[in-house]
Formats: sequence, C-alpha cells, structure tokens
Amino acid sequence: METLRQLLVGREISELSRVTHLLDEPEQLATAVGGVLPSAAARAHHAQLGEALAPAVERAVQRSIQKSPRTLTDILYPVFLPAIRKSIGEKIDQTFQSLNETLRHIFTWHGLKWRFESWRTGASFSEVVLKHSLVYRVEHVFLINRNSGLLIAHVTADNATSEDPQLISSMLSAIQDFVKDSFNEKEQSSLDTIRFGELRLWSEVGPFATLVAVIRGNPPEELHEIVRDVLLRIHDEFSQALEQFDGDSSQLIGVETQLQTCVELKQEDSNQGFPWLVVAAVLLILIPAGGWFFLSWQSGQRWQAYVSRLGTQPGIIVAEQKVRDGQFYIVGLRDPLAADPQALLSGTQVDPARVHSQWQFYQSLEPEFVLKRLTASLAPPDSVRLSIVNDRIVAEGEATATWINRARAAARQLSAGGPEFDISRVRDVSPEEREAERWQAYVSRLGTQPGIIVAEQKVRDGQFYIVGLRDPLAADPQALLSGTQVDPARVHSQWQFYQSLEPEFVLKRLMASLTPPKSVRLSIVEDRIVAEGEAPDTWIDRARAAARQLSAGGPEFDISKVRDVSPQARAAEHWQHYVSRLEAQPGIIVAQQTTRGGHFYISGLRDPLAADPQALLSGTQVDPARVHSQWQFYQSLDPKFVVKRLMASLTPPKSVQLSIVQDRIVVVGEAPAAWINRARAAAQQLSADGVALDVSQLRELSLAELNHLREAIQATDIFFYSGKAVPGPEQMPVLDRLADQLKEFAQNARKSGVTARFMLTGHSDATGRETANVSISAARAETVRALLNKRGVAPDLLLVRGAGTFEPAVPENSRTGSSTNRRVSVTINLE
Amino acid sequence: MQKKICMLGGFAVGKTSLVRRFVQSIFSDTYLTTVGVKIDKKSVALPDKTVDLILWDLAGEDDIGSFRVSNVRGATGLVLVVDGTRAATLAVALTLRERAEAEFGAMPFVLLFNKSDLADRWAISDSEINELRQLGWQIYLTSALSGENVDDAFRQLASMVTK
Repeated sequence: METLRQLLVGREISELSRVTHLLDEPEQLATAVGGVLPSAAARAHHAQLGEALAPAVERAVQRSIQKSPRTLTDILYPVFLPAIRKSIGEKIDQTFQSLNETLRHIFTWHGLKWRFESWRTGASFSEVVLKHSLVYRVEHVFLINRNSGLLIAHVTADNATSEDPQLISSMLSAIQDFVKDSFNEKEQSSLDTIRFGELRLWSEVGPFATLVAVIRGNPPEELHEIVRDVLLRIHDEFSQALEQFDGDSSQLIGVETQLQTCVELKQEDSNQGFPWLVVAAVLLILIPAGGWFFLSWQSGQRWQAYVSRLGTQPGIIVAEQKVRDGQFYIVGLRDPLAADPQALLSGTQVDPARVHSQWQFYQSLEPEFVLKRLTASLAPPDSVRLSIVNDRIVAEGEATATWINRARAAARQLSAGGPEFDISRVRDVSPEEREAERWQAYVSRLGTQPGIIVAEQKVRDGQFYIVGLRDPLAADPQALLSGTQVDPARVHSQWQFYQSLEPEFVLKRLMASLTPPKSVRLSIVEDRIVAEGEAPDTWIDRARAAARQLSAGGPEFDISKVRDVSPQARAAEHWQHYVSRLEAQPGIIVAQQTTRGGHFYISGLRDPLAADPQALLSGTQVDPARVHSQWQFYQSLDPKFVVKRLMASLTPPKSVQLSIVQDRIVVVGEAPAAWINRARAAAQQLSADGVALDVSQLRELSLAELNHLREAIQATDIFFYSGKAVPGPEQMPVLDRLADQLKEFAQNARKSGVTARFMLTGHSDATGRETANVSISAARAETVRALLNKRGVAPDLLLVRGAGTFEPAVPENSRTGSSTNRRVSVTINLE
Repeated sequence: MQKKICMLGGFAVGKTSLVRRFVQSIFSDTYLTTVGVKIDKKSVALPDKTVDLILWDLAGEDDIGSFRVSNVRGATGLVLVVDGTRAATLAVALTLRERAEAEFGAMPFVLLFNKSDLADRWAISDSEINELRQLGWQIYLTSALSGENVDDAFRQLASMVTK
C-alpha cells in the first residue's frame, strides 16, 4: 500500500513536503516570496495594493523620520527645493509689487482716497492700493497634457476670443520645450510667465497637466496661488484620468467646472460704468465757465493789443492801465495833436462802453509834434518849407524879416529840451526887397530887347519908374511885364518912339514900307540889307529911293541884285534868248530881227538839214503867235552839213568812214571802184564851193576772191534720198565745207560794206503729188539751214524757200534725174 | 479625440507644403525657423468618430543632430516624409524615425514619398519601395502639387493611431 502510494503519489508527496518545509521555514519562505514579490506587486491592482501598503509605508516613513529625519530630508531635498524656491520667489515678487504700487499711488489723489478707505475698512493701505490698481481679468484657461501637449480642457471668459485652442495648447507646450532646450534648463521648472503687452500667460505645471491662464491686465501675484490650487484640486480629483490621457477628453468632463473658477477671477475698475450723469453735470458747469473764461481772455487780449497800439502812437503816453471786473481803465498823457485814443478804439473790437480813459493833455517834444505846433503857431509863408532832418526841425526857403524874427523867438523857446529848430537856411526877403529884385530882373530883360533903349529907371516908395526909347516894331514893354510878378499898377513907364537903325528893324520897316513883290527876297548879310530877285522897274525905283534915304547912318540897302523885270522887258529878254539860241544853231543864219509893238520879226537863211527854228521856239516862253519868221533855204557849207549831204547823196558803203578834220572832210576806207569815182566827182564839185573833201585815203575794194568763192558756193548742192528731208551721212563733209565757205564769204562781204545773204532753195523729184513735193522741198531747205546754223553760220543770213519740182537741175526723165533733183541749192544775194 | 502626430523628414522634402492645403493652420511658416515647430490640425472623419490630428511639423534639417527629439514626446504617430527625387532623404527619414522610437518607443507611422509629380527626376526605384512594403509599412506616393494620396495617408494614419 505504502509502496503503491509511493508509486502513485510519491513525487507529489515529496513536492508537498518540500513546499510545507518551505512554508514552515520563514527564512526559506522569505527567500521565495522575495523572489516573486516585485512581479506580484507589479501585477496587483494598483488601488488595492496602494491601500494595503499605505499604512505600512506611512508607519515606515514615520519610523524613519523618528529614527533619522536626515535620511528622508535628503531624499526629498531635490523635490522640495524647487518648490520652496519658487514659493519664496513669488512672495518676494508679491512684496515688490505691493511696494511698487503703494509708492506709485501714495501721493496721488487716489492715494488719499484709498488711505481713507483703508482707515474706514481697517485693511492695510497696500492692500487697498493693490485692490484698486491691479485691474485684471483671466480670459482663458487651458489645461494641457504635459506629455503630448494635447489640450485637455479650455475655458473662456465671456467676450474673450482666441484662435483654435487645440493648436494654441500644442504650440504653448512646443514653446515650453523650445525655451527649455534652447537654454539647457534641465531643472524641473517650466516657463511660468509670458508677457505680451497687456496680456500675460501664466502657467502652472502639475505632474500630468499644465494649467495656462491667459490674463489681461495687471494681476496680483497672489493669483499664482489661486491658479496653483485649482491645478492641485484637478490633479487630486482626476489623477488617474490625467495620467492615462491619450487624447480622449471624455473621462475629464468635470475638469471644466474647476477651470471655470479661474476664469471668473478678475478685479475690475471700481468705477462701475461710465458716470455719464456726473460728466454731464460737470460739462454743464464747465462749458459756460470755459466760454466765459475764453471771452474774458479774448477781450483781455484785445485790450492789450489796443494798449500796445496806443503805446506806439507818437504823442500818447500810457501811464497806467488795468482790467477789473471786465472794465478797462487807462490813464495817460496825450498831445492834443496826437491821434484820438477814442478813434483808435474803433477797429479793435473792444467795447468802448467798458473803457474808462483819463487823458491829461501835454505837449509832446517829439519833432513831428513840435513841427505841427510850429506850423500852427508860426504860419510860415508858402515860400518856407519846414521838415524834420535827423530829429531837427529845419526851415528852408525865403521869408520876410518879421517872420524870421518870430521863428527865431519860437526856436529860443523850444531849445529847452525839445528838438532844435534850425532857421538858418531861410533867406530874409521882405516884400520890398523881393519886388526890387524882380524889377531889376525886368529892367535887365528890357535892356537885352532889340529896339528898346532904357534911358533911366528908379524905384521910389514902392513905385517903379522907367524912361527910354523904343522902336514901334520892338516888343511891347508892357507885355514883357506879364511874367515877372512885378505889379503893373506900380510901374510908370515913359517910352519915346524912335527908329532903330539896327538892321533887323530897318529890314522890318523896309518890308512894311516897300512891300516887295514875292519875287524879291530881303535878307541881312553882315549888317547890310540885301534884296535879291526880280522886280518891275517901278518897284526898283522905290527901293532905290529908300536906299538913298537910309544911307544917313543906317545899314546899307543893296538892291543891285534885283533884276528889272517889267513884262515887256521880260518878253524882250526871252526873245533875245531865243535869237541867240538860233544864232548858235549850225545851218541857221539870222539876217535881221526886230521887236515892234510887242511882236517879234526875224528873217534869215536856213539849211534844210538844220534844226527847225519853229521847234526851237518851244521852251523859250516866247509867244509863237507874236513871232514872225522869214527863212530862205540855203546849202550850208558847214562841213557838218556837207557830210550830212554827202551821206545822203553818196550812200557810202559801211567800209567807208567820213569824218571832219580841221574843217576838211576826210573819207577813209575801202570801196568799190565805182563808188570811189562818184566820191571824187563830189570832191571836185565841193572844192569849187571852198569845201575840201579828201578822198585820197580811199582804197579800191577787190571782189575777185569773193567772186571765186561765190561760184564755189553756188555750185554746191546737198542731195537727199527719196522721200527724206534729212540728207544722208555722206553729205556731212559737203555741209562742213559749205558752212566754212559761207562764213568766209559773209565775213569778206561785211568787210567790203556789203551784207551777203544766202538763199537755200529746196527741190524735189517729180514723183508724188505736187503739194507733198513743195512741202518736202521746203523741209529740205529748212533742214540744211538748221545744219548750217549748227555749223556756225548766222541764221539771219540764211533764207529758205521750197521750189518743189519747178526748178529741176536736170530733166526728170534722164537717168540720174530724180536723184540729182532731190537737193538743196545755194544762191548769194549781196545787199 | 485628438492625437499628436509628428511629421519628420529631411530638409526641403516638402513637409510644410504637403500639409498646407489640407490642414487648419493659424501659425505662419516663420514659426519653423523661429521656434522650430509649426503646429497644424487635420481633422479626419473615420466611420465611428472624428480624429483631430495635431500635426507637429518639425523643422527639417539634413543635420540630424539638430533634430529636437523632445518635440516627439507624447506623439502617437509619425508621418515620415521623403523627397522622391533625392534618394538620400529616405535614409534621413528612417534615421529620424529610429531616434524618435529609441526615445519614446515604437509608434505607428506612414511613409510618404513626396514630389511624385516630378516623375522625370524620380530617384527611388519601385523595387526599393516594394521591399519596404514587404515590411508591412504604409507607403504613399504623394504630391503636394496635385494633392495626390495626401488625404488617404492621413486617413490611414488616423485609423492606425486610434486602434
């Protein structure tokens, strides 16, 4: 049985005994449990294990502290130190803030008010200051997972807005990390304050979550504690959910109510609402008051402007001025001549009714006022001018002695303190003196007048006496008085008329007595009176008589240059002029001429070639109706006339020239023998009349060469092809030669006094109509004329005609007839 | 429900532009250069709930040493972004992931090959991508330009982090 049992459960028994032994032996059990305890604890339910261990741990800690507090202190030191440090830091901040604010407000109106409040409520002054000065509001609270930066909860105050809180919370934790990493801050602390203008971000860091409060305004440091309390409470309540947070906030719904307590934190300005009523009341008082102040300030300004204007006025001295109860008072001195202060008020907008002035009159010593007074008191005459020169009053001009004396007295009076009055430049001119001066000026003016001789003049008792001679033609002394300011009533003149012998007066008198005709001009030449021109003998006689009268002492009257021109004499003169002109004419011989009964008779010889006496009459002012002429023709032997006659009768060729050399007629040049014979005959005839015609220098002109040339030219023909008006090219040498011959002939002919003209006659053959033949023959002649002209033959020497078939060179029916007849032939005419 | 997601990737792989069109944002890009982090939010509606992905766009720098790993704390997922035209950025993304996981443990992620619109400059071979897919990784070829696959990637990640 035992064996069987041993066989069946032997292994289990030994195992059981080993376990029993293990359980019985505390040492062994401890070893075994120790082996599994860590893993057992790890697997145990956290809450239960915590609860089970808590009393033991608490007792263990208690014992440990009792035994040696140092150990636990050492352990906790790294945990506590940052917390303590932070706490102390905050306390110090709080103290500084309180001190700051207290100092800031201690001497202000608020400070006084708040001191009263502190006395009334029993709170410390700094508490009251902080209460009023730290105005803030918590606008947002974020609860952020510390690990992932994910937002756990977010609460917003009324009216506060922000961007997506999820992004903000992540960014905030990113910035936390950024700061920590950037500055190698390894400590367990965190970024707890960010300030941006009015906005502050305060963050409190818990084990699993960070609470960030966004505060607008100036929060008290105590707020840190409040926020921290909220965070602690959240951690207490939701520690497990926070620890296990994985982005799902559904477990943490209650958190928001906790956060809400933070958001409600604020300290608003004690002035609840804007005090409209108070402001309105204050404004009601202030506006009229301000208006009144402005108006009174403005009127004060205007008053001051007026006063300063018065101050600048010459002759006004403001002694005192003041403004009281809106009334203006002014006291001072004013010169009676100065501007009226009342009048000056008009443009200033100062109410004249509120101005109370008291002006004492005084005499200003300013030069301009002194000047005014002097002008008023001295009444200077127009001839005196008063002016201010460098603060001195200067009088200039002319005045009577009495005025000057008064002015001197005034100057002496002035000298006591006033400006100097300088009258040294006033000339003493009492009226009598001035009158006398003017009188002398008048007298000397009279003295210079021609035809006036002042014999005597004097002044007595303001009356002027003058005695003298005057030519009736001289200027009127009375009239000369008008511009002189001499009183005519006081002038007593006695003028004896006389005849001035000064040439100009004599001239005037002569003009008046002789009344010379327009053709006579009288003038003064070196104190002589000279008459020039033409006058009838009656006038000349009167003039001579006058000249004789004058000669006794007066200027000479020269009438020798006046020609005696009574009408008959003038007509006779004209006639004589005509006759002498006729006598000068060649070919006219005046035999006799007489003037009788206003008629002119003339007889004589005239050559028919001489000028016509009748024609010569025009232009001579001789009346042709009263001229009676009797002319016998004759042949004048005057060489000029002889030449004229020879030219007409002999018609000498151009190569011959007739000229008069020392009353002889000389014929020079070449001429044909026939003409030379005629000339010799004429010379013989003339020599009988006593006229020498010298023909010895004539040479006979030889025309033999020309005849030869003429034959050559007239034998030349220019040929044409049938129907052509232009000669063929083979004719060009013929044309060249012909042109040379024509030019030579023309030149030689011209030398001999002959003009050679060449007739170009065009011909045609008999084929075709006659009209066409005539026109083509003319065309051929024209063409040759043009070709010769082109070769230098003067065109006016070339005549053209078309002969058609009428002048054939050879009969048409002959063998060469047609071609020979198509030609242009040349004939020479000598003129 | 909200989740912290970190976007990791090398310099100029297009993280910022990748999300710009698909997310709610209140912070400007300058935060990246000043604070080093820009935070955006992407709400993804899953069949049973809506998840708010709080995207921490960490400044991408090729200098991996300057990567502030502390920013990954509390993240429940990663978005790894690679520039498909620069093969080196894949290694950068993977290194960043390793560092994050070494510090905070393994976490779900999606791997985005960005700039898929630049096919002609593409530098990652299909075989390489397939190999990574073999590892069970969620890989998307995305384009910030066209928005291709971006929403899908976020949806995928949202469902992964809420499992």
